[in-house]
Amino acid sequence: MSWRTSPAWLLELQGRFGQMLRTPLDRSSGELRAATHEYDPALVGVVRPDHAEASRAQLAVYNRQYWFRLFTALQGMFPLTARLLGFWRFNECAEQHLLEQPPRGWDIDAVGAGFVDSLSRANVDEAALEAARIDAAYHDVFHAPPVVPHQFSPDEAGRLPLGRLRRSQAVAILHEHWPLCELRRRVIASDPAALLPLEPRRAEERCWLLARDGLRLGLAPLAPREAELLELLSGMPVAAALSSLEAGCSPEERLQLPAQAEAWLSRSVRLGAWAGVDFD
Amino acid sequence: MPRVLSPSALGLGLRVSHHRALLEAEARLPVDYFEIISENFLGDSQPARYHLDWVKERYPVVLHGVGLNLLGPAPPSADYLDRLAKLADYVDAPFVSDHLCWTGAHGYSHHDLLPAPCVPELVELAAERAALVQRHLGRPFGLENLSSYVAFEPALMSEWEFYARVVEQGGVHFMLDINNIYVSSRNHGFDPYQYLGAIDLSRVLQAHIAGHTAGPSGILIDTHDQPVASAVWSLYAAAWRRTPFPTLLEWDERIPPLGDALAELAKAEEQRA
Repeated sequence: MSWRTSPAWLLELQGRFGQMLRTPLDRSSGELRAATHEYDPALVGVVRPDHAEASRAQLAVYNRQYWFRLFTALQGMFPLTARLLGFWRFNECAEQHLLEQPPRGWDIDAVGAGFVDSLSRANVDEAALEAARIDAAYHDVFHAPPVVPHQFSPDEAGRLPLGRLRRSQAVAILHEHWPLCELRRRVIASDPAALLPLEPRRAEERCWLLARDGLRLGLAPLAPREAELLELLSGMPVAAALSSLEAGCSPEERLQLPAQAEAWLSRSVRLGAWAGVDFD
Repeated sequence: MPRVLSPSALGLGLRVSHHRALLEAEARLPVDYFEIISENFLGDSQPARYHLDWVKERYPVVLHGVGLNLLGPAPPSADYLDRLAKLADYVDAPFVSDHLCWTGAHGYSHHDLLPAPCVPELVELAAERAALVQRHLGRPFGLENLSSYVAFEPALMSEWEFYARVVEQGGVHFMLDINNIYVSSRNHGFDPYQYLGAIDLSRVLQAHIAGHTAGPSGILIDTHDQPVASAVWSLYAAAWRRTPFPTLLEWDERIPPLGDALAELAKAEEQRA
């Protein structure tokens, strides 16, 4: 297919227009307003040469649409984070993220990639950062491609210590220091204006396996060592993962580990955590 | 040969907020077909595909894209066009449509439908590209007219002349958005009926109807967030009575329950009488 290139003047116009779209909205008034004085006069001049103010107002429609469409997309992907940070602060972080990583492709959901790291650089509080990781996991697990949970053959089961397990894209391991998964459920079900305070930090971390079942997402509680094992299994052969887990255990834990590890592995298979196994 | 919709067909844009009501519907809904936003189904999300399968087993499905970037500087990636063609084949779409606009340039994607100057030089460019897209898809391809908030100067031709010539030269079709004609007519001060008069309605694959909102500065915005305005219904009635075409209601913000959206769609039949 041959696709004729655009004329140079159109490319130049589109470059100016794109720059106008990405002009950050002004926050100084306490509202998000288009900073129309920052628009390129050359662009303003080709819209309404006779009336620059009207021209700027017309361009501002696109400028606002650009930002609000992307803010809305991110708020949809990170509902708990947006609620914890508040929409003003959330949008501020989103703006910085989008300036650093503007959209590049047809999939608007791709704007969420790297947002957790952007929030980390923005020094948001620990609970909001944890919420962002949880939101990202919910989004990725829900929208994962169809996955058939792997059923291990007797031969695979026999050679399992040498195998590398492939984690299903439709599961994620969540770490929680606040009751954020429950709060997220309430946020989704509530009015956006409802007050949903964050409860105090837990004394100890809680871990969950988030798994898609049909069109629903379910949470299964994981013991801390169980979560650790599942994470180790995603990066190394089973025998190496078990050794690594054992190395971090106390002598008392080691006594129970063989039986527990077997039970955890069986449970992970039942929960559909694995998409397959590879043998070198 | 792709399926063909009846000119009297009434369709609704498929939206996530209606998925549950669709799945729970006990009887066939009073709608002849659904339109999906192509990009929402080009990936491999299992829930998206599940809902698509449910709909396509019961209703015809047409594709409407927002990411082709017809007037962008670079051709759509082969990957994008291949996915689009595959999706169209999968649902056996009667037709595929996207917009006469650009959505990104210089490596950026703006996720908006952006206008280009209406000049003869771009007629040839757009027509040639639209023809290539239609050939790649192997089924009718329609171009939608935009709602626009700016018009570039000097305007060497009217928007309707530009639009009609692109469709004619490209051998493609109109995906005529009646609400967009009205919104742009108010924003740019032209007669929407003059616009309509320039369109060869026999080449209209489908018309869109939707609601709009007046912004603070008086500019009308194509928000798709409320019922269709009476002036848009009048314009629609004038067009449909001249030559009928399938009609689709879009609703993208403040989306009402499915029943309310279908009731709004049903008003199209009253307008045709």
